[in-house]
Parts: sequence; structure tokens; C-alpha cells
Amino acid sequence: MTPSREGARIALAVGAALALGFAVMACVSDQPWAAFRALLTGPLPSIERAADGRVVVHRLVRFGAWLQDATTLTLVGLAIAIPFRARQFSLGADGQLFMGALAAAAISLGLGDTPTALPLAFLAAAAAGAGWGLVAGLLKTRFEANEIVTTLMLNVVAVQVYRLVVGRVLNDPSAGFITTPPLPEAATLAPLIARTTVTAMVLVAPAAVAAALFLLRRTTLGYEIDLAGANPWFAVRAGVPVARATALAFALGGAFAGLAGFHVSNALLKRLPVDLTPGIGLEGIVVALLARGRVGALPLAALGYAYLRVGAQAMERATDVPREVVLVIQALIILFVVSDRLAPLALGLARRASARIGGRAA
Amino acid sequence: MTVAPLAIALEGVEKRYPNGTLANSGVSFAVAAGEIHALVGENGAGKSTVMKMLYGLERPTAGALRIHGRPVDFRHPGDAIAAGVGLVAQHLNLVPSLTVAENVVLGHEPRRAGGRLDRAAAAARVRALAEQSGLAVDPAATVASLPVGVRQRVEILKVLHRGARILLLDEPTAVLTPPETATLFATLRQLAEAGRTILVITHKLDEVKALAGGVTVLCQGRVTGSARMAELDEGALSHLMVGRDLPPPPPRRTARTRPVPRVVARGLGYVDDDGAIRLRDVGFDVAPGEILGIAGVEGNGQDVLARLLSGAAIPSAGDARLDGRVFTGLSPRAVHALGVAVVTEDRLHDGAAPTLSILDNLLATRYARPPLSRRGLIDRGTARRWAQAVIDGFGVRAAGPDQPMGALSGGNMQKLILAREIADAPAFLVASQPTRGVDIAAASALQSRLAALRDQGAAILLISADLDELLALSDRIAVLYRGRIVARFAAGAVDAQTLGLHMTGLGPSLDGDDHDAVA
Amino acid sequence: MSLDLVAAGTVATVVVAGTLRAATPIIFASLGGLISELAGCINVALEGVMLVAAFAGVITSAYSALWFPDAPLWLHPWLGCAAGLLAGTALAGLLAVFHLELGADLIVAGIGLNILAQGLTVLLMAHLTGDKGSTASLTSFALPNLRWPGMDGVPVLGVLLNGDGDAGHNVLVYGALAATGWVAWALRHTVFGLRLRAAGENAEAALAAGLPVKRLRYAGLLLSGLLASGGGVFLGMGYLTLFQADMAAGRGYLALAAVFLGGHRPLGTVAAALVFGGATVMAARLGLLAVPAEVVFMIPPLVTIAALVLVKQHQRLAARRRAAAGRATLLSS
Repeated sequence: MTPSREGARIALAVGAALALGFAVMACVSDQPWAAFRALLTGPLPSIERAADGRVVVHRLVRFGAWLQDATTLTLVGLAIAIPFRARQFSLGADGQLFMGALAAAAISLGLGDTPTALPLAFLAAAAAGAGWGLVAGLLKTRFEANEIVTTLMLNVVAVQVYRLVVGRVLNDPSAGFITTPPLPEAATLAPLIARTTVTAMVLVAPAAVAAALFLLRRTTLGYEIDLAGANPWFAVRAGVPVARATALAFALGGAFAGLAGFHVSNALLKRLPVDLTPGIGLEGIVVALLARGRVGALPLAALGYAYLRVGAQAMERATDVPREVVLVIQALIILFVVSDRLAPLALGLARRASARIGGRAA
Repeated sequence: MTVAPLAIALEGVEKRYPNGTLANSGVSFAVAAGEIHALVGENGAGKSTVMKMLYGLERPTAGALRIHGRPVDFRHPGDAIAAGVGLVAQHLNLVPSLTVAENVVLGHEPRRAGGRLDRAAAAARVRALAEQSGLAVDPAATVASLPVGVRQRVEILKVLHRGARILLLDEPTAVLTPPETATLFATLRQLAEAGRTILVITHKLDEVKALAGGVTVLCQGRVTGSARMAELDEGALSHLMVGRDLPPPPPRRTARTRPVPRVVARGLGYVDDDGAIRLRDVGFDVAPGEILGIAGVEGNGQDVLARLLSGAAIPSAGDARLDGRVFTGLSPRAVHALGVAVVTEDRLHDGAAPTLSILDNLLATRYARPPLSRRGLIDRGTARRWAQAVIDGFGVRAAGPDQPMGALSGGNMQKLILAREIADAPAFLVASQPTRGVDIAAASALQSRLAALRDQGAAILLISADLDELLALSDRIAVLYRGRIVARFAAGAVDAQTLGLHMTGLGPSLDGDDHDAVA
Repeated sequence: MSLDLVAAGTVATVVVAGTLRAATPIIFASLGGLISELAGCINVALEGVMLVAAFAGVITSAYSALWFPDAPLWLHPWLGCAAGLLAGTALAGLLAVFHLELGADLIVAGIGLNILAQGLTVLLMAHLTGDKGSTASLTSFALPNLRWPGMDGVPVLGVLLNGDGDAGHNVLVYGALAATGWVAWALRHTVFGLRLRAAGENAEAALAAGLPVKRLRYAGLLLSGLLASGGGVFLGMGYLTLFQADMAAGRGYLALAAVFLGGHRPLGTVAAALVFGGATVMAARLGLLAVPAEVVFMIPPLVTIAALVLVKQHQRLAARRRAAAGRATLLSS
């Protein structure tokens, strides 16, 4: 399908999901319109001219939250999309992210306030995510272990390792809750926009996408991953190292999820609480799905999807609709986008209906 | 003269797929009840589509089907089964983990109270059917453990169990050994005498002669001839089957064979994961500028031999050398680097990636080294220019290097695959079924390329099911039967009939271990 | 001496009874996963099915008491149970429609439905109770326990049959055992089981045999929904007596792993589910021994991965043995 038709199809799916989401909101809310408005405009800052003529920007926090969320989503989207180039259904972004965050925090705390702490934490996060991804990759290529099952299981293990280490090794006894101590200043990223959590990571995400694109399109490894995904039997006969390429696809994806972990630990939270919520990895699937597996389209998909998520938080604060409504919308987007026969079916029904109306009019 | 009632009648049947491909057009023919009728034609002539329409797996887009005189519109195999039509597919359609009895009764199971399967009744029915039709099987055996010939019997029993009056068989002998083929033919004759109608797809002249009462020839989706066997002599039959002028013979060899062999294989053997011996004691020499043909019925070890020689499998015994260096047991890439190129048997399965572009397909064996890549970076510009040059040089009809491989015709695809494999001027080429299922013009072009490569001094192992091709191109021919070389001939010293005898294990066996018996 | 034995036996049976209880939801869900997997459809939505079933069961039993205050008390949990089974099966039906009719990828659609279930249950819970965490503010009902009479004070056997504290086992614990037997029997001995397996293993062959493959896949997915719903209902009306957000807590995914771990066989699958249930009980026991709970929670996933590797290694060794035998024949001839 051509990109423009594909784009139209996705726009249609998102529109339909939003419409149905609104219907759900109308059922559970006394103020559905206000809620819907908050959902759709929440992430935008409001610019007002104050009485004294100065321009005042409100709600920058949410705007920042949008960019920041899109950054995480882009990175976990890469963690799904790259293994998928090798036709591997990795659901392991969550575990890789937790491992990345843990490695970044451990290195930061270990090195303390030194200039090398930041770059080393960054690299450690990527390496930890890649290593965790490589485990799933090797399990698949060496033992033909179903990657859906192994990545889900590795997620559980990673979350427990994270909780074990945060709770028992890196624990800060002086905090009122179970958490690591705050990371040293030199290891964390300062906000680029005041009053927000938008850091240099917002630039790292598109750079990561560009790097991934370069890798997939221009390098022999990228070619090997594509060929292994398109027809592994052919690839093997042609002498392509299919097992290595497949395992490395998991590792590469994991590196990006690890960077998402770095983003969480060293840019957003600046310390790691034991109850960091898993699940963002699954959101990566939505992003990869919205981008239809096209790596270049990931930032756009992440921006669009993060907009909805932040809008939902705004809506929850402003109205009686819980933010979970966005889960419903997200689920509907997934279902509509992935249903290949839905659009033709809907169009066919519409055509038949209009034909019947036309027939009656005649 | 009484006219037998028609069991099958097609009237102007057309099948056009949603993507626009026209598989059949204006197909009309009829089969009398109790007749064995052969449907012949080349690969891609539309025979299988006719079968599928008769069995409700496809629906004709125009025309009419009649079964026993009544017009039918099968939407589902269930409809065809209800009308008494049964299909024995080319790729046997059995469930491997179930038993013979379970497979046979599937869909029409004897039941006990509570929806339970009556295994005893199923086994008894299968045993009775097997006895009636002379198809010996063990009802309790698991299908996965059975050889292909027995699986086919199970498939026929399945069709009979549903009470089919009309049996459709799609290339039933392709995977059978000669005794199995003989048994099958006896069974089919017996079934026809008992009043069943049989429509069988084949492309073997001798099978048509041995079996059929009538024949219909399909070419490019249309009927080009239809006749009763009684009215045909052999010449007329072969003319009918070929239906047009034969392609021009490929160019004769120009270089003389040099005496020193380039490729020397000795004692090659292979045991698969199930412990079955698939190849034993295969030895041969190929000299530079020589084509050694390998003849054999499909499944007699040709695929294994090709895999061993290309690095896709490791021999259990023996080895093969290229200019004195052992190249078996190495990785495919290492084998390729030594100068061995491979055209695989099934281009869609392991010869190409149909969803990727022509360019990406051409890169597969060359992307990892200069000039197409340096230090892990692919030079897309150079690669593109090379791909365009290949497309032009091989007369491939394609929009450009970015067109998906899968959008090409079989012939164009095969040209690109051969182009890819011979791009590095290999010392040794293993070509499996290089012209299978491609049109005449493309086949002839491909054969010319092989001849040209030979003339440049390459050694070629040509594995083909097409005896005409083998006879025309090969300098020598060896016959594989049940994993062994059972006969060797010099080109010109053998004809298709003799080859056929050896391919089916009926020729006098080779004495001793004379790899070099024929120069 | 004999007293020690009895004490040890009692501890062991407490563990066994606890394992059974903890494994019940996973057994239900894994049997569901098995059936759809054998029909050729991997059901990733088990997690969502359990959530929806638990939610519908709890809410319906609570509202049943509000709407029919005069009805006998035993009615409410059973109404809830019926509603839970229906709702969970409906979600699986949705998966079937999206996959079989609309061409959606099974795995992605399954994940989508899990998210839908997560969102809808919390949304409706917040709407009905004003609380996003649990339905503690509602009075909901549990399904009854079955108690064997005359077992008071009988050592070991009493604990085994009537649980720790002599309260009996929830009816759905027995339900899980019955479901295990039924699934194993139906897959092996009924015409339906034969057809389902045929459709899953070789759809083309089933189609050629005139079987309605699509309908069989619907049946497989709906049945898997029904079974997994049993697990969900148990979570909300047996294991606990309320609904909590994200109550399934990954059990649906564990159930899926159990299917693979059990080699796609009914008894193997249930054995794997029991291992997972046992790990939960172990977590509580080992917690007493100062083994971190986190370590214990790693056991089921690590066991799954190890088992997948070992199964493959075993197959490989067997193949190598066969090949070696064949090679010996080849070389000796």
C-alpha cells in the first residue's frame, strides 16, 4: 500500500477510535464535552496577553510532559520495530528499559559527581538493554524458544531484579519510601525548557531514529536483518549469518529501550523508586504499529500518541473522567489499525448504504 | 453406439484472480463416467486451477461446471464432497500427528454417544476400504511415521471413505517409486472398473499412455487439444502434448573437455535427523567446461546432494573438492567464496525474497565485500548501477531495481537468480531445476546462459527433472535412485527411455565403484 | 517420631492445598490457552479475559444483591459467576471476530484487547464506585466452598481435602480439576477434539476434508475465553472477594507460557500451571525464611525459559542419536 493511503487509513482508524472513546466518555461522565476538550487540547500551552501587556505562557509543564513522553515512546518504539524487521515479535522493551534504568542509576551513583558519570551512565543503559535483548535473541536463535514467551518472562525477571537491587542494594534509608538516593547532579540532565522535564534526550530520540535508519539502510548488518526477516531460508542458503543478524536485532532494539531507561532515571525522575510501573514497553507496540513498522515514522507516531496520553492526564485532573479512558482509545486504535479488512468492509457497507439511500430517492 | 453419461463437464470456464492473473480461460472438456482421463500440460498451464475449481477450493469467474449432468456451484470443498467429488492433492493434505484411521474419517467420523469418536469403527472401516481397493495400510499408524507412498494411499482412502464417485489426482506419481506407481495405477484401474471416474494431472507421456482413456491438453490456461486415446497413435499424442514447435536446441558445446577434473566428489553420504539415509556413496567428477547432468525422480536425493555441495548441510560421509580443496562441510558463505555458486530448487522458498526489491535480492551473495560494501557500509549507488546492468544484460522485464522480486514472472525471477549466482564467475555451479515452471523463451535463454558459462570454463552440475533439458545440455548424465548413483552415461549414448528405466530402478545396476567409468 | 511425621505431612499438605488454590486461575487460563493454541490461534488476550470476567462477576454479584434484595443469598454469587463467564467469553469472541473476520494479527489484537480490558474495567469501576483501586466499597459475594464432612481433626487428609483451617476448597478449585479432566478427555476422545486439532495442525488438510475451519477456530477461541473466564471469576469471587485494578497480574501471560512449557499437552500444561501456582506459595513460605520475595517471583519465568531450552536440547540429542545410528549403518554398508 502506498504511504499516503496507509496514512489515510491510520488517520481513519485513529478518528474512529477517538469517536468511540468519546462515546465511552459520554457513558461514564457528566461532562463529556469538557472532558473531550481537555483530552484534545490538554498538552498545548496556552499563551495569553496579561493585563500589563506581557505575554504569559501557561501549562508549559504539560507541553513538556508531551515532548518527554514522546521521547520515551520513540525509544521503546525502536525496541519493537527493529526486531520486527527480522520478523521477531519482541515484547521485551519493558524488561530492557528496567535494566537500562537500573544500570544508568547504578553507574551514576557509583561514579558520583564526576564528568564521566553522564556519558558512562548513558552507555551503560544502552549496554544493559542490549544485553537483556540479546538474551531473548540467543534463546530464539540457539534454542528456537518462542520469543513472545521468552520476552514476557524476561520482563518479569527484569522487574524483579530491578526491585531487588533498588530495594536492597541501592536503597536510600533516609528517604520516606523505598528508592535509590537522588542521582548526583553531574550524572543527570538539566531541563532545556524551564519548569519542564524536557532535556537533551528530546534531541537524542530523533538522533536515535536517524542512527537506526542509517544502520538498517546502509550497513551490511541492516541488510542482513532485513533479509533474515523477509526469507530466512533464502538468507541461509545465500550465506547470510541469519542467526547472528536475528540475535543482534534483539540486542539493537534492546539498546534503544535501555536508553529509554536512561531517560527515565537520569532525566525524568533523577532517582529510581522501587515501584516504577512496568507497561511502557507495551506502549511501544502501539507506536510501532501506528508507524506501520516504518522506522522513520516512529517520532511522528510517538508524538501523536504521547499527545493523547498527556491529554488524558489533563482530562483526569480537570474532569470526572479517569485517564484510563485513554487505554480504551489506545486499544481501539490498535484493533482498528491492525484490522486489514476493516476499512474495505466499512467502505463497502457505506457504499451499499448510500446506494440504498440513492435508490430510494430515485 | 451408446454414449456414456458425462461425469464431469466444463463449459467455457474462466478463472481470473483478484490481482488480475488469468489462470484459465474458455476451458471446456468432458469426462465420461468410469473413464480415466488425463489432464496434461506444462507447469503453470492452469491444470491445478481446474482441479481446485472442481473441488470447490476456487470458484470460476465465468463458465459452468457440471457434475453427473447437473450444473454445480461449489463454494467450499464440503459442497464438492457432497456432490461425490474427491481430491488427492499434489502436496498431500494429511494431519501428521493423527493416525491413519483418524485422517481417513476426518470430517465423516463414526461416533458414539456423547460426541465421542468411535475409534474401533473407524479402524474397521479403514481396514475394509483398504481391502476392497487393494490399498494396504495400518489404520493405527501415525501418519508422520509413514513414507510418502503410503501417505498417498491414505489420501486416496480418505477420498473413497467419503463415497467419492469422481477422483481428482494432482500429479500423483511425482513422489512415488516405480513399484508404488505400478500399485497406484492398478488401484486406479480397479476403481475405474468399479464405475468411478478419475481425472489425473500428469506431464508424463508414458503415464498417459499407460493409464488414460482420454486426454485433454492445457497450455497457458486454455485447452489446446482433447482426444480419446484409442484414436491416437504415439506420434499424434506427443504432438498433441507438445502442441507447438519445440524450442530451438541450446547451443552445442564449443570447448573441449579438459582431462583434469575441477570438482571431485567421493563417497558422499547423508543421514537426516530421523536417522534415515538420504544419500550414500555418491561420487563423480566434473571437468572445467563440462556439464554433468543428474537425473532422477523427485525425492531420490537430488535436493540433499545440492545442499551438501552448497554448504547448507554437512555430509555424514565423504567429501567433495574443488581444484583439490575440500569444500563440503563449510558454511554457505565459505563455499561461495571458494567459487561455488548455487541455483536452488525452489526459487520462492529459498532462492529469493519475494517481498524485497530486485536490488536487495541481487545483493544477497555479494553484499558483504567490495565493491558493493566496505567496512560494513553498503554502497547503494554502485549496487544500484550493477542491478540495473544485470536487468538490462539478462533481458529481464522489470520496472527497475526497486520493483519487488515477487512481482516478476517466474522466468524473469529465475534469470535474476542465475545472474546473481554467476556474477562472480564461479568455478563450479550447482543448478537445481533451473528452468522449472518458466516459459519457453525464458527457459531457452537460461539454458543459453548455462552453456555460455560452461564455455567460459566453469564446471556445472545440472540437476533437472526435465529429461530433454538434461539430454540437450549435459556432457554426461548420472542417475540418482534412492540416494545412490545407479547409472552413468555419456551424452549421445543414452535416450530418455533408458534414463527413465534407471530413474525408476528398473535398469541393470552398476557394478563396483567405478566413479570414473565414463570419461 | 510419628508426631513429627504427621506435622511434616501437615505442612506438606498445607503447601499442596495452597498451591492448588494459587494455581486454580492459571490452570483455567492455561487450559483455555491450550485449546485455542491447538485450534491454531494463539490467545494472547487471556489476561484481558480474566480481568473482564473477574470484574463482571464481582460487580454483578454486588448489584444482584442491591437489585434483588429478597432473593436468597446463594443466588448472587452464581449470577455473578454467569455474568463473569459471559463477559470473558464475549471478549474472546471479539478477538475471534477481529482476527477471523477483519484480518487482524492475533498477537497484536490480543494485546489490544488486554489494554481494552484494563482500561474498561478501571473506567467502569471508577464510574460505579468512585474508586480506581478496588471495589472494596461494594459488598460482593464469593462462590461457596465445598467441605468434606467428617474430616475434622483427621491429620493430613483433612487438610488436603478441606484446606488449611478446615474451611473447604472453593467450588472453582474443583471446577479447575474438572475442567482439566474434561479438556484432556475432549481433545483425545471426541470428534470435536479431533477436528479442532486437525484444523490447528494443518488447516489446509482440514479444509480439504470439508471441515468448517473458521467455525472450529471460533469454537477454539470462545472455549478458551470461557475457560479463562473461570479463572477470572475465581480471582474475584474465591481467591479474593472483590475486584482490584490489574487483578490478573500477569497470570494470563504465565498461562500462555504454561501451554508452551507443557508441550501443548493438557496434563503437561496443567502441571506447568501448578508449578507457577506453587511458586506463589513458595514466595510466601520463603518470605518467612528471609529469602527475598523478588527472587521467588523470578522462579516461574526462569523455570519457563529453562524448560524451553531443555526441551529443545532433549529433541536435539534424540535427533543426534538417530543420526548417529543412521551414520553407523551408512558407514558399515
